[in-house]
Amino acid sequence: MIWYVAKRLLAAMPTLVAVLTVVFVIVRIIPGDPALTVLGDQATPQALAALREKLGIDKPLLAQYFDFITAALTGDLGRSLVSGRPVIQEVVAVLPHTLDLTISSLVLGTALGVPLGVWAALRRNRLADYVIRIVSLVGLSFPVFVSGIFLLMVFSLHYRLFPVIGTSNLADLGDRTWKLVLPTITLGLVMVAYITRVTRSAMLQVLSEDYVRTARAKGVPARLVIRRHALRNALIPVVTVVGLYLGINIGNSVLTEIVFNRPGLGKVIVTALNQRDYAMLQGLMVIYCFLIVVTNLLTDLAYGLIDPRVKQA
Amino acid sequence: MSGAVDDTPVLRVEDLSVEFRVRGAWWPAVRGLSFDVARNETLALVGESGCGKSITALSVMGLVPRPQGRVGSGRILFEGRDVAAMREAELERLRGDRMAMIFQEPMTSLNPVLSVGFQVSEALRVHRAIDAAAADAEALRLLEEVKIPSARRRFADYPHQFSGGMRQRVMIAMAIALKPALLLADEPTTALDVTIQAQVLGLLADLKSAQGMSMLFITHNLGVVAAIADRVAVMYAGEIVEIAPVARIFSGPVHPYTEALFRAIPRIDREEQSLDAIGGQVPPIDRMPPGCRFAPRCPARRPSCEASSQALVEVAPGHSVRCGVRAPAGARAA
Ligand SMILES: Nc1ncnc2c1ncn2[C@@H]1O[C@H](COP(=O)(O)OP(=O)(O)OP(=O)(O)O)[C@@H](O)[C@H]1O
Ligand SMILES: [Mg+2]
Repeated sequence: MIWYVAKRLLAAMPTLVAVLTVVFVIVRIIPGDPALTVLGDQATPQALAALREKLGIDKPLLAQYFDFITAALTGDLGRSLVSGRPVIQEVVAVLPHTLDLTISSLVLGTALGVPLGVWAALRRNRLADYVIRIVSLVGLSFPVFVSGIFLLMVFSLHYRLFPVIGTSNLADLGDRTWKLVLPTITLGLVMVAYITRVTRSAMLQVLSEDYVRTARAKGVPARLVIRRHALRNALIPVVTVVGLYLGINIGNSVLTEIVFNRPGLGKVIVTALNQRDYAMLQGLMVIYCFLIVVTNLLTDLAYGLIDPRVKQA
Repeated sequence: MSGAVDDTPVLRVEDLSVEFRVRGAWWPAVRGLSFDVARNETLALVGESGCGKSITALSVMGLVPRPQGRVGSGRILFEGRDVAAMREAELERLRGDRMAMIFQEPMTSLNPVLSVGFQVSEALRVHRAIDAAAADAEALRLLEEVKIPSARRRFADYPHQFSGGMRQRVMIAMAIALKPALLLADEPTTALDVTIQAQVLGLLADLKSAQGMSMLFITHNLGVVAAIADRVAVMYAGEIVEIAPVARIFSGPVHPYTEALFRAIPRIDREEQSLDAIGGQVPPIDRMPPGCRFAPRCPARRPSCEASSQALVEVAPGHSVRCGVRAPAGARAA
């Protein structure tokens, strides 16, 4: 197992370097002088030169690239142009909020989505299946800022059950959970819809497999056939697809954080954009890519736990 | 009551039809099928690909694929009870215990995420109140019995680590785990080499003599038929065209289709199914000819053959033929 993790981490290194290279190129391609953009055209030549030196953009490109990669690989992603604090620090400060939201909505999505998907598959083309399919399609196509604002209006403003402002005290677990409820539902419902659909189609596929027939031929009771023989196999594609979706779903998490005014990577990104904090944005891009690489690794690990064929490869 | 051994057949199929939905309508893949399998008897089911052999076995197990397939009419009496009318829970109690099936597809019939040992022990766990250790011990014994090399070491391996021949043997071990009264074996030895095949056939013969097991044995291999069958049923396009004791089928086949099928010399090491002598193919189920289904390909065809369907006529005790030319109705009833 440990050997497998190590191998996977090693295999992720080239991906990470490639990502860093792309980020580097993108930032250099953006037309204009970053120093000029930051300081404005009223700036003195001395000030501009000083900033260029501080940003390291006065050196030759190849040297810049080398510096950037080595710094990034050792965890140094530069400093924010606005606050002057290291990018890593800014991110680490808000990361728990983002992880809270991602994990809780994933848990909600799995807890509801898997059983619903199985149920729909077993009731294929009957009423329950149609209802689940339609509702999940609506859930998927409904923008999170609409559902989020709706939940806010009903449960926070009208019934005053939940707080309007999402900033929570990380040390206070009760407060932290409390403020997580509505954002989790908002983001979680998208996950529920998605996981339901993926599970349904994976189950339908698996239920027609020969080995399910074999299990029935052994006299295994129907409930056990579904759980032990069908679901375990159906979870293999579900894990894969959901792992990928977590990455794609970043847009929705950003929107959710903004709607509920929660601290998190989403807000950091928006702030950096507004303030044209290039150094910060470059760092954030790298961090997001890193998070996706980690998500993929976790996905592969989960995959390896379910599917015995994976460990061999 | 005489007190003699129970002579009701283990399996009695009466006028069975199994239908599939093709382009919005139900068509019989198997129709008017009737046969018995007696206690301790092996009935071989032979016929070209697509003639309905597997579907026949699946319907006995209550495993006709749904929703595209269904048992249309008829009765399937297993130990006197109609399987076709049973509820799923009742069927579950019979399956894997009193009756078991070896499937035709060894590569896809084992669950890829469960260990081979567990899959063999599962039927024991489901049907018998024994603990996991005892089930595993028995499963290991079964794997050794079907000649899995170093079975103990490979017990926790997964199907993908096994070859096709080994998977087929694992399936055989699974099916005989509870010593069923009826074994439905759908081409159980196709993936095996000659030596292993002979060993497995020997094992099945032992089970038959020791437990009084009955078998419905589907095969393309006429050598295997000669080696293992008591009686043979020849199917064509979903119907039995000839059924007779094994010696009669080889020495005096009556139906032109049987003749063509059995013209080859039976040899255990050769896969004989070539029907080169008669050209053409089995018609698809939604385009069956109205009269004798074999007529379009039949060398002995007469104009009357295509007009009406043929009845199965007994030409000698235990020997029936569906052919208006060779065995006209009323010609000879024993
Ligand atoms: N799932 C299905 N959907 C539609 N038709 C089917 C299905 N399964 C079987 N059939 C029909 O039933 C017929 C008989 O199929 P079956 O599998 O019993 O043939 P077989 O005699 O076992 O052939 P083989 O020797 O190739 O195994 C087929 O020709 C096909 O028309
Ligand atoms: Mg078949």
